[in-house]
Amino acid sequence: MSAIEALYIFDEHNATILEHVYRGRPPTASVLLPLYLSHPSPQPSLIYLPNTHPPTLVYSIIQDRLLFLSPSSAESEPLLALEFLHRVADALEDFLGSPLLASKIESSYDVVAQLLSEMCDGGLVSNTEPNALRDVVEAPNWVKGLLGGVGLPSSSPSLNPSSQTPFSLPRPSLPRAPSAATANPVPWRRANVRHTSNELYVDIVETLSITLAPSGRPLSALAFGTVAFTAKVSGVPDLILQLNAPGGILNTISLPVFHPCVRLGRWKEKPGELSFVPPDGRFVLAGYEADLLGDDHLASFTSTSSTSKSLASLNLPATPAVSVSLGPTGADFEVRLSISPRFQNKPSASTASSSSRGGLGSRSASAFSATGTTAHPHIEEVKVHIPLPAAVRTIADLRTSRGDAQYAPGDTGIEWRVAAKDVAALLASHHGGSVSASATLRGSVVGEEEEDEETAPSVSLEAGSRWEYDEDEGGGYQTSSSVEPAQQRNGNGKGEAEAEQRSKRRVALNRVLMPSSATVSFSVKGWLASGIKVDALMVDAKRSKGLGAGVTPYKGVKYLTVSRKGVEARC
Amino acid sequence: MLETARDLTLEAARDASYIRKTSTRPLPAAQLKKLLDSRTERDVLEGLRKVITMDYRNQPTLPFFTSVIKNVASPSLEVKKLVYIYLLHHAEAEPDTALLAINTIQKSLADSNPQVRALALRVMSGIRVPVISQIVSLGIKKGAGDMSPYVRRAAALAVPKCYALDPSTLPQLLEFLATLLGDKQYFVAGAAVAAFLEVCPDRIDLIHPHYRSLIRKLVDMDEWGQLATLRLMMVYARKCFPRRTRRVKKTIVSSTTNKLTTKTTKGFYDSDSDSPDSESSESYEKIQVLDPDLELLLKSASPLLQSRNSAVVIAVARCYLYLGTPAHLDAAIGPLISLLRSAADIQHIALYNIVQVCLARPQPFVSHYTHFLVRSTDAPHIWRLKLELLTLIFPHAPPRLQSLILAELSHFSRSSGSQDPGLVREAVRAIGRCAQSSATSPRTSARCLRLLLAHIGSADAHLVAESLEVIRHLIQRDPDAHRTTVVRLAKHLDAATSAQARASIIWLVGEFAGVDPANNIAADVLRILAKGFADEAEAAKLQIVLLAAKVYVHYLDANPPPDPPQTQPKASPSLLDGLDDDSGFRDVEVPQQQKEPEKKDMYPIPALYHYILLLTRYDTSYDLRDRARVYRALLATPSSTQLASLLLLAPKPVPQTPSPSEARKGYTLGSASLVVGDEGGVGGLRGYSDLPPWVAEGQEPDARLRDEVVSSSRDYEPMASRSQTASERLDSAVSAVPTSAYSRSPAGDTGLAPKKASANGVKEKSLDDWLAEDEESEETETESEEEESTEEEETESEEESEEEGEGDRLVKSS
Repeated sequence: MSAIEALYIFDEHNATILEHVYRGRPPTASVLLPLYLSHPSPQPSLIYLPNTHPPTLVYSIIQDRLLFLSPSSAESEPLLALEFLHRVADALEDFLGSPLLASKIESSYDVVAQLLSEMCDGGLVSNTEPNALRDVVEAPNWVKGLLGGVGLPSSSPSLNPSSQTPFSLPRPSLPRAPSAATANPVPWRRANVRHTSNELYVDIVETLSITLAPSGRPLSALAFGTVAFTAKVSGVPDLILQLNAPGGILNTISLPVFHPCVRLGRWKEKPGELSFVPPDGRFVLAGYEADLLGDDHLASFTSTSSTSKSLASLNLPATPAVSVSLGPTGADFEVRLSISPRFQNKPSASTASSSSRGGLGSRSASAFSATGTTAHPHIEEVKVHIPLPAAVRTIADLRTSRGDAQYAPGDTGIEWRVAAKDVAALLASHHGGSVSASATLRGSVVGEEEEDEETAPSVSLEAGSRWEYDEDEGGGYQTSSSVEPAQQRNGNGKGEAEAEQRSKRRVALNRVLMPSSATVSFSVKGWLASGIKVDALMVDAKRSKGLGAGVTPYKGVKYLTVSRKGVEARC
Repeated sequence: MLETARDLTLEAARDASYIRKTSTRPLPAAQLKKLLDSRTERDVLEGLRKVITMDYRNQPTLPFFTSVIKNVASPSLEVKKLVYIYLLHHAEAEPDTALLAINTIQKSLADSNPQVRALALRVMSGIRVPVISQIVSLGIKKGAGDMSPYVRRAAALAVPKCYALDPSTLPQLLEFLATLLGDKQYFVAGAAVAAFLEVCPDRIDLIHPHYRSLIRKLVDMDEWGQLATLRLMMVYARKCFPRRTRRVKKTIVSSTTNKLTTKTTKGFYDSDSDSPDSESSESYEKIQVLDPDLELLLKSASPLLQSRNSAVVIAVARCYLYLGTPAHLDAAIGPLISLLRSAADIQHIALYNIVQVCLARPQPFVSHYTHFLVRSTDAPHIWRLKLELLTLIFPHAPPRLQSLILAELSHFSRSSGSQDPGLVREAVRAIGRCAQSSATSPRTSARCLRLLLAHIGSADAHLVAESLEVIRHLIQRDPDAHRTTVVRLAKHLDAATSAQARASIIWLVGEFAGVDPANNIAADVLRILAKGFADEAEAAKLQIVLLAAKVYVHYLDANPPPDPPQTQPKASPSLLDGLDDDSGFRDVEVPQQQKEPEKKDMYPIPALYHYILLLTRYDTSYDLRDRARVYRALLATPSSTQLASLLLLAPKPVPQTPSPSEARKGYTLGSASLVVGDEGGVGGLRGYSDLPPWVAEGQEPDARLRDEVVSSSRDYEPMASRSQTASERLDSAVSAVPTSAYSRSPAGDTGLAPKKASANGVKEKSLDDWLAEDEESEETETESEEEESTEEEETESEEESEEEGEGDRLVKSS
């Protein structure tokens, strides 16, 4: 039960690049893949294949365009299998370098084989901690070369003077001191970490997930935050990271998730304070989410007056708005992209943005001086995506006021990119005003069958809108039944109303071809939607071990807010 | 410094050459063999890498088997590792040659490096050659007593492999396992638990002495150990802690516990007010009394809710759902929601589990509704579950949220643009479910109906058909309230173009043909439809014929032919019972009013009926012709309509549209069967076993078994801190007192289980009983639901026994 039976990896062309069987005789990769692909896309992460022998469950994840599959012939915990696949992908990325490429795996099968046999033993997941894996499996040398040999104690022969000459033994396979491996007090941290330059980086990335109702008022506005931490510090450092937010940290973030290294008790005592002994290298320290609307926004739904205010308070860098069924035949639509002037890419800021990581003076550990980017966050990679119905044959007359839109007949949507210079120009033209600058995209849809509508049966389409149902009408039964439905049918479709009727029908037919939403993607450096800030990052000198006296690591903080089709406007 | 730089350069140069070499085509076999047989380690390594690479590229490597195996004695760890990997892949193909290596591997078990020892143990147990099972067993024995925890862990992980190799080694293996389960190192214990679950999940007697220590280690274990332990403990708890409940006066409860607890306890496991046995004591409430050991488990699991591993979060939620109190479960809701932040694949599985928890306890999910709003980027399997969640929380939402959800659903049910037709269909169904839920106010229900009715004129046939389907369900649930709706629907026949929609409307009209005979429009509708009969689609034609037959039967019932007097009218109301609940209405009114039509419209209805039959006679559809023939035969003799009315006017069961996931409700949270559903076979996928029922009071193992035996645990733990074990002993000695607050758990001691241990009112119940009661009280369904649940109980218990047998077989065969 709950065993990993095998692991298969496929490249983007669905060619098998790795087959590793842990237990039993699961269906081979060549058997599984066609069955997996025959499932309608997008494939869910768990597919049941009753036609194999024995019936098989297939777990799948896709990372860096590589497809990871794991079959299971019996009941097992789906999340266990999926988490394992994720860990494998992470470990491979950690050892072979990011992004994970098929060629990288193919050129270092020996490392991959060691990793896979370490991570899962006979079907039971055993060791997935990247640092612990580093202790037992050595990364391919060329990756270490790329990493500059940081933090890999055994990689450079100078640290192991006892070994033979480097030429006779490419990889000095030193028996690690048993005490180091066994008495390691921190399971997630490698033993004997040594770095020449000690550095600590905090990257807080927030991913937006915002839904705007047709009226423009936000239905939901969530920011999913990730605190990524990079520790390149010798010894066993004990760190304290203090987060703060304008409205108090507990009011801002909710549902936090922590790396096992974080002391939960400390967080509960002093919210906002993360105390931990970091693993070596880069890892995800914590995850959280922030409801940008606050708790009481449901109350404001009914009162229309507060809607505009509520959107303004979100202070989004870019928002889309869609209006449809424009023009005489209702075939036109317009997407308006508004960009807040706050996120203007000023020339002065752009120079600072090249190194957007705000350097902290190594002496002033607690004083986080606002860097140029934090003061002038600017928006990048603005892209609007407009999904289109399958019935749309083509888009006629696609125009944008800024940027360029891409659409080819048969596409499932329009991609509208607004380059950085367009954003700058746009904001420059609207300078001074506090209102946001906006760009528009217009187009008109052309559907499949234009001529068919004449022969279509006469449909009184307005009947749907005319419908009024009053639930407490009890006595009107007699009178309402006296209206003969047949009269209605005979009555319409005659006279001068016919032309109007037809144009209405046209509008209604085109209505089906209208896009129903638009999403904006962008990234903003130096700004967090939730307003969270790193107050301080301290090395607890008393608790830390192995960090030389007087060594103060270099510290850096980076804020980034991204939206991957995350801001969505409906219509 | 300079030295380092030089080394680095050298290294880089070497690496560059290495890259170039590997990218070349595979070497000829002779050359590769030469490399493997070489004396320099470097060449051997090079050769091994090539072999491994060929392995993964599915090129034949068996010719090199002996050359590779020779290197197993190499002092280099690097070489060893690669040889081991090769050996594991191919030992089965060449068992005899593989055996030659065993001796060397066995020697490695005594190596000074624990990593080498652990590796050797892992490989030896992994070689699938049954003859060595005794050697493996010996190796495990040695490994279980090793100094290094890494070797002990390898020993634990080797146990299931050895068992699979030769099940007859089980007695010895159990001995080793018992030792390893008590290991002080958390990652050894975690692996031992995983091995235990593989080998002998039923031997819970082995767990007793280690229960408390395992629970204490839970927080420190790695994620996989936590998962195994939580899975084990869930079964263990069900088998060892009888479910004790206590009746507490509500007032008392609210004074001892905080407000939240009392409020929430009521909704979930409540059996008051509705269940028959507690009707007398409405002011009493049952509260689960937790065994102190069970409480220890639930408490120690709470820090795991913050885990980054989604499987662990689900496992804790599962423990809380099946073992804990509602207050516990509430604590897990937030972490469950936080899983929706993770990658799409995990999100998908997490949603299934959230739905499952939401079915049991919807209230706490209400405040998280923003996570359930459908986004345009969601895949079908995601939005399907999100819509379901919205409908599940709908009855418990405040009015404003209800209207928001309805607006949301109606947005997606509007078939505009790029939306998936499936999404439209699901949204319409979701509106129907919202309207049907018992907690929905009549006004909201009417609003739902209005939303649906607005779709009838739509140009989208799917939408119209789906809306009508849902409207039909709504009307059937409460026919009396919707007479006017049917009339209005009938008027709408003109607007409805899709055949399916027309058919639905006509069927509804037919169903209502017998209601309120004086003002019934069925005949009128039939008259109008008869005119355009030829232009109708087949689906609609079928319904028109049916309508004609129904109208005719009603006519015959109301105007019995003169020959057999007065018998039919008596029979018909009883047959119509289910159709209109107030059959008294008919009894009273019909006799007076039927006199009139009898005289006036003697002819139109039979005439219409015969006209329709005539039309169908020449229809192209044989199905239609056949049906018409059936009706004609049925109604051939106007004097005997009994059979016809039995067939045509049979009371239709009220359609139940449960939440789609209701069918999976029986599956355990976190299982794959829950995701796959009944597709995986009745009773879940292969290897799925339901949770065992709570052990009956008095049959549980003695609690003293769990007291830790100090001497035995000390033997295997050289660095054991004796002071700790002593304190543990003290703890267990005074086990009547609840174990003092576990260091990491939140202070939220709900006070639900203070050991007042009053025996009165203690009543044992299996979880099934509880769930069954729960269903009754929460949903106030009809009796059929109740029957179902009892049936389920029966089948479940049967399945269980079956599955136990299967489980045994499984273990043996694997």
